[in-house]
Amino acid sequence: MTTIAQPLDTVQRRALRRRRLRRAGVYVLAISLAIWILMPIWLIGTMAFSPQEKVYVYPKPVAPIPLSTETMEFFLNYAGILEATRNSVLVALLTLVLSTLIALPAGYAISRYLFPGRDAFRLIILAVRAFPIVILAVPLAVTFIQLNMYDKVYSVALMHTALTLPTTILVIASVFASVPVELEEAARVFGCSPLQAFWRVIFPLVLPGIAAAAIFTFVMSWNEVFAATLLTLRNRTLPALILYTLNKSPLEFQYAGGFFMLVPSLIFIFFIRRYLFNMWGQITK
Amino acid sequence: MFKRRWNLAPYLLILPSFIYLVLFFAWPMARSLQLAFQRDTQILPVHATAEEDSEEIGYLPMQTEVAILERERREEELPSGRTRPIYWYRVSGPNDQGETVEGWVNQRYLFLRSRTESETARVVSGVETREWTLAQVKRMVNDSRFGRALGTTLLLIVLILPVQFVLAIIMALILQSQIKFSTLFLYIYAIPLGISDLAAGLVWEAMFKQNGFINTFLQQLGLIDRPYIFLSFENRHWMVVAIVLAEIWRATSIVMVIVVSGLQGIPRDYMEAGEVFGANLWQRLRHIILPLLKPSLQVALILRTILAFQVFAVVVAISGGRVLTVLAYETYRWYDPSDAGFNNPNVAAAYAGFIMLISLVISLVYLRLVRTQEEAARE
Repeated sequence: MTTIAQPLDTVQRRALRRRRLRRAGVYVLAISLAIWILMPIWLIGTMAFSPQEKVYVYPKPVAPIPLSTETMEFFLNYAGILEATRNSVLVALLTLVLSTLIALPAGYAISRYLFPGRDAFRLIILAVRAFPIVILAVPLAVTFIQLNMYDKVYSVALMHTALTLPTTILVIASVFASVPVELEEAARVFGCSPLQAFWRVIFPLVLPGIAAAAIFTFVMSWNEVFAATLLTLRNRTLPALILYTLNKSPLEFQYAGGFFMLVPSLIFIFFIRRYLFNMWGQITK
Repeated sequence: MFKRRWNLAPYLLILPSFIYLVLFFAWPMARSLQLAFQRDTQILPVHATAEEDSEEIGYLPMQTEVAILERERREEELPSGRTRPIYWYRVSGPNDQGETVEGWVNQRYLFLRSRTESETARVVSGVETREWTLAQVKRMVNDSRFGRALGTTLLLIVLILPVQFVLAIIMALILQSQIKFSTLFLYIYAIPLGISDLAAGLVWEAMFKQNGFINTFLQQLGLIDRPYIFLSFENRHWMVVAIVLAEIWRATSIVMVIVVSGLQGIPRDYMEAGEVFGANLWQRLRHIILPLLKPSLQVALILRTILAFQVFAVVVAISGGRVLTVLAYETYRWYDPSDAGFNNPNVAAAYAGFIMLISLVISLVYLRLVRTQEEAARE
């Protein structure tokens, strides 16, 4: 028995070693890729939290020592930054509300009803999502000037809603699709009206998914540069202002600004990471 | 699964989004084409009699030289109650089709030396109108920066997409390989999904700056003894490298997410079968994973290509838009009402139309793909 087990053992041990080696390789790769993503964020963060004069030194420090909020404060006190940040938040919130309110019924309809035209509507939404919507800021700017809607926070939000709506509809549809329709029917059987069934039974279940979609909408609007730059002049959003002052602004402005702009993504992606696949996963459903 | 009874409810539910897309998608698209292919101009209507409200019997383009056949002196009452003389002229001249138009026009639309003596006049004003024109499209195409913008945009696509797809597939395979902390890795790999192209541009500009991090690293490794100026007019290839890295850094996540969703759709049996029959990683990738992943990869490819035609802020942040230019930046530059721009929305709309046209063609391919995939899934 031992004589037969002996050679098997070596084979197994070799296989095990190979397996461990491969495992280690996967981890090395995974960690290198994580460093590739995180390193630039760390470095710009280093600049953003170094004293102002460190921004100009060479060679560059790779950690914020001494830690200082001087550069960040300089950026936040720079002319127009606070107003622009406020504008950006307002635009993003307006976009979030508009987009979610309009997408909610549409997403529900797509996931719950089988009606003539459903496939066509879905294809339109898919096509619109793939379309370079920000380019439409050019004709919209011309029209907004004629309608006296140019350079307003709400007109940027109207544009951003067009940008985010298709994605929001598709995510919300996939969130609804993940809740069994039987729950709704059961609620009806127990005497709920359709609206009650939706509000009391379905809504609490889809709320996290819808919140994730709303957060993603917020981030998309917060990040959008092209349309915001075209549609505003004095009431700039934050990205529009940073882009506009890029050539005239000092280094610390650019570093702190770059870091400030990517903070929301660090926070929000963490909360919505489980829903990311709802957003792009449902290619065929 | 579905409520099958036919009723109005679903239509009412999709109505708001439908209206919104008509207002803020379909309509601006049409308006964009109109801006690109039409221009504001003036033409002069020619009247049947010497009255402002008489029938218009023809139109004369601006700057036409006309012959004066007859003149009529009228009195015009001013708001003050006094009157002043005003002349109407019967003129004859060629319209833009070369036909001769003859009729009455008010003196204020004409330039003439003497109201009472001149035999000829020139049309100098008229009423506002729009005409179809290719002039704006020609202006876009003939601009020396058009070719460069298109070239750079295409070059970036060619350089970025392959690396991006390889990286995204590697990331997705790592996430699917049941390693520890896979949710942490997912989070890290997904962070760039929420990073704007402007922020990415600023970050990578900081890396490549003369006193930036890449120079610091190279110097500390002893590879250079003084900082190298990567981002300068003479070093346009280094600018391309910086933009390519920034875009790979920022926009690989979206491909990764699509690929992971695709991988999740592959039945475990296939993978296990591959392992049982002793296929190594490369063989499994080549013969099992990639073929089954094809639909997801196609969708990701199309989405990424369309997004790549909109690349804007990264390029502006890294090159200032002057050394290197892309289609979206040219669109912005032609629109820009400040001193740096040309303040010409019509040419900007022509650029927008051009980007739309490219994207439309790619989207149509995309829709066909989605349809065939759905049909295949149904069978």
